[in-house]
Order: sequence, then C-alpha cells, then structure tokens
Amino acid sequence: MRLRIELLRFILRKLTAALPLLFGVTLVSFTLTVHFGPDPVHALSGKNPTTADLAALRRELGQDQPFWIRYAGYLRRLATLDLGHTETTGEKVRDLVARTVPVSALLLGPGFVLGTGLALLLAMFAAWHRGSRLDRLITGASVAGMSLSFVIIIIALQAVFGVWLGWFPVRGWEVTGPASYLAHVTIPTLAFVLASIGYNTRFFRAMLVNAMNAGHVRTARAYGAGPVCIMFRHVLRGCLLPIVTRVVYSVPALVISGSLLIESHFSIPGIGRVTYHAMLSGDQPVIMAVVGLSAVVFAVTATVADLLCRLADPRIRLA
Amino acid sequence: MTENPAIPVRDKPQPIPASGWIAPLIVLAYVIAAAGVWLGFWADGWGDITGDMWAAPSSDHWLGTNRLGQDILSRAVAATATAFEIGLLVAVASSVMGGLLGAVAGHYNGSRLDELILWLKGTIDAIPFYLFVVAIAFALQGHAMAMHLAMIVAFWTTTARIVRAETMRIGQTGFIQAARAGGSTPARIIVRHVLPNLVHVLLVQATLVFVAAIKAEVVLSFLGIGVQDSISWGLMLAEAGQDIMAGQYMNFMVASLALFGLVMAGSLLADHMQDRLDPRSRHRRTTSLTRRQHQP
Repeated sequence: MRLRIELLRFILRKLTAALPLLFGVTLVSFTLTVHFGPDPVHALSGKNPTTADLAALRRELGQDQPFWIRYAGYLRRLATLDLGHTETTGEKVRDLVARTVPVSALLLGPGFVLGTGLALLLAMFAAWHRGSRLDRLITGASVAGMSLSFVIIIIALQAVFGVWLGWFPVRGWEVTGPASYLAHVTIPTLAFVLASIGYNTRFFRAMLVNAMNAGHVRTARAYGAGPVCIMFRHVLRGCLLPIVTRVVYSVPALVISGSLLIESHFSIPGIGRVTYHAMLSGDQPVIMAVVGLSAVVFAVTATVADLLCRLADPRIRLA
Repeated sequence: MTENPAIPVRDKPQPIPASGWIAPLIVLAYVIAAAGVWLGFWADGWGDITGDMWAAPSSDHWLGTNRLGQDILSRAVAATATAFEIGLLVAVASSVMGGLLGAVAGHYNGSRLDELILWLKGTIDAIPFYLFVVAIAFALQGHAMAMHLAMIVAFWTTTARIVRAETMRIGQTGFIQAARAGGSTPARIIVRHVLPNLVHVLLVQATLVFVAAIKAEVVLSFLGIGVQDSISWGLMLAEAGQDIMAGQYMNFMVASLALFGLVMAGSLLADHMQDRLDPRSRHRRTTSLTRRQHQP
C-alpha cells in the first residue's frame, strides 16, 4: 500500500517535471509560427482597406493583445484542437490532421518496427561474437549505412524497384485491402529500414557489449544458459534504459524526416506531404498545428517512456 | 583457449588501422576541391549551359551533362564548396555555443542558470528538427540563411550535454579546486582551465556536427527549403529524382557518391580522432558514432 502511494507520487512528480518542457516547446512554436509569422490581416481585409479597417480586423483577430495573452490563446486552441482552416482548400485543420496521420502511421509503422527489431537482432549477434570477423563486418556495414543519406536511399529504391523492375508502385497510395497495402508499403519500409538500421545497430551493439561485462551475465553463462536466454533475459534488461530512450528520441529525427521525404517524393497523402505543401505555400494554420502538436506529442511521449523505463527498473528508487 | 564472450575482454592497444589514414586523406581531397572553387581555379562555370541535354561522358564533359546541358562534374565540385561552407559554419558556431553554454551549466551545476540551460536544451531536442527548420524559415519568410540558423540552434545541444558532463567531472579534480582557492573568477576558470582540457571533445563533436549539417543540408535542399541561388548535392539529387524517370543516372551517381564519400570519411575521422585524442577512450562506454546525433 505504501509502495503504491510512493509510486503514484513518483509518477505525478515526473509528469510535473514535464510541464516546463511543454511550456518550452509551445512557446517556441508560438513565437516562430504565430508571433513572427506572416501577418494575415492584409490577406483577410478587402481591397484598399483603411487604417481603421485594419485596426478593427486586428482587434477582431486578437492581434492587439499583449504577447502573453495571445500565447495563452494559442495554448487554448492547441489544447482544444481548435486549429482553424487551411488557407488552400478551407478544410478544417483538425480534420486534415485526423485524415492524414493514419496514412503516415500505416506507411512508416512497419519500417520503424522492422528497423528497430532487425537492428537489435544484428547487434545481439555482433555483441555475442564480439571481435570476430562477422562482428567487424556488421560494424563496418553499419558505418556505411549511417553514411547513406535518406535521399540517396529513396532515389535508389525508386530507380531499382520502380523504374527497372517495376515490381512495386512508387507513386500514390491507392490502398483498398491487405494486398494493395503490402504493395504500397514495401518501398517506404525498405527505405526506412535502410536509413535507420546503421545507426541503431551500432548504438545497440555498444550498449549490449557494455551490459555483457556484468557479473551476473558471466554467472548465467557458467550455469550453461544459452545465447538467446542470456541475451534477452540478462543482457537486454541491463541496458533497456538507453535503448528505449534512443528509440523514442529517434522518432522526431527519423519518422518526421522520413514522412516528409517519402510522402512528398512519392505523392502519398500523409501528414508529411501536407506539411511539405504547407511549407512551400506558407499555409500558417497547418504549419502552426503540425509544429505545435508534434512538439507536444513528442515531449509527452519522451516523458512517458522515461517513466516506464524507471518503473521497469527496480534499482531506481522511487523516493 | 576459446574466447568466452561473457567474460570482459581487455582491449589491446592497436596500431592505427589502414582506414585511420584513408579517412583523413579523403577529407583532404574534398578540402582541396572546395578550396579550388573558393580560389576560382575550377568549377566556376557550374551554372553555364555548355553542352547538349544529358550528353554522355566525353573529354569536354568528363561525367556528362544534366537535363539543361550543364556540366555534372563542375556542379558536383562546386557543391563540395557549398557543403564545406555550411558544414564549417554550423560546426564552428554550434561548438562555440554548445561549448560555452555546456561549460557554464557544468560549472554552476544545480543552479538556476544550469536549470535554464538544461530547459533550453530539452526544449530544442523535443522539437522535431525538420519542423524546426520549417518554422524558422517561415518566421524569417524564406531568408536564405534560415537553414543555417536553424541548424546552429538545433545542433549545439549534443555538444553542450557532453561538455557539461565533462566540466562537472573536471570540476572535481585538484587543479580546478586549486584555481578556485587561489581566487580565480569563474569566467577565468572556464576559459583558462576547463575549455582547454575539452579541446579533444569539442574537435570530435565539431566533426560530427559538420557531417550532420551536410546530411541535413541535402535533405532540406531536396525538399526545397535549403540552399538557394547556389548549387548543392541536395539540389543535384532533387534533379536526379526527375532524371531517373527518364533513365538518366549520371546526376544521381555523381551526387550520391560525392556525398557518401565525404560523410563516411568524416564519420570515420571523428571516430579515429576520438580514439587517438582522448586518453580515456578505451574505457569509454560508447564511441563517438554511437552518440545520439541528429539523423537526417
């Protein structure tokens, strides 16, 4: 019972500690996309507006308010998902986001899971055979993989599978069932795995090798435990925290750049392509929503992942 | 005796491997290519139309021409200079910023100032990098330096984190405490005693930022929010994306090989520098390449 109260207080304290972070990311996204953003007043007013017209419009939009009042208004709109309408089609930004995010998730989800999983297996293999020729091969290949730009991978896959072989569609997203989904998701998944596997393998291997030096791993081995048991039950648990942190922190870099690049290049109607078009046409409501929401979602995810790690690790005191 | 993977193996001191010499030499070749462009020796005609559309390699155009009839080799070499301009500017600026803020935070660790710097770092790390660039480009209304500014602001955080930790470690040692007891001001301790002992950390980190900046430039230019009014590997790859639909691969091969070579050599150089310059590196948990970097 006492433990449960302590646990609850620990969770509450962790979540409170995330508040400054939320304040920071929303402040930066407000300052950049709303405060310094282009002035919508001239676009909204009719032909030849008088100074009084402009002032009235500013008052109507709340632009005459001080910075902090406007920031509070921005927070309220983010929290209630009242994000306005896009400037291009007039669709509600909330509906646009709700329509396109699932496409991106379906597009990149398999690649993210496979890229992380395969890298973990490769890293375990390399760490177990540390110092061998295979280990050197895996480590060397992952440095080469790290040096391949996402852009190069996308164009190469487009050339090989789209132009030469013609096995998979490389444009559009006409998903009607499992078969067409698999056909469309293959190239993005390959691209994502190739782009992430180098970084991940190298990092995971370093963490695993370090964790393998622990005494209890040697003991388990002396008792005759097999490689799979040792790796998953003893080694992986010893370095779960840096690995989970790494995977979570690779989301903004890899997933968002991946969705921007893949969707804009292959014309896939996900959130990445929406952002890409908004960025080229200067569509403020969309940019405001995407930057603000993704920063908030990421800050919350990172905090929760941190919390889960600490809860999973009994060595970390709750007090 | 068979080697038991579960028993710690002490690393033996090793001679510099072949790649330890190859990487600096490759980087040097790129430096010469870039310096030649700055001094006006070659590649100043990268924008001139000097041949037919998609001409095959010849004595006039060693690597052929692009869709407009511009020389691909000149463009790739001129793009090397662009890559170095961006990489060096971002690496130097973010190292200065990260070094100073990290040292200040580490020296005053636990204070309000430290908390403020950590908050700033956490905030910037939580904003997805490419969206951050979009937001800054948006705020600066498409200014040509928006990308550079965004990279500097986003990339100092890793340097600051490492410098802060090292500063805290050095702060425990005798000579810093002696300097403090001798009445040195905090500014003097940081500039005269802490930072000179972190030169190797800053050098390795600056090299990694250099590589990360070049990779990020390629992605941003490819997306159309990077380099403007100039030539870069990212812009060449954007062209190449169209070219390959017409079965023309030269632009793609040249730009991606040039990019891959510099990024790979730069990463290996950073790794070797870490091994050679840091006396404690053999006992380190991670090498420089396993640090969390921005991954474009």
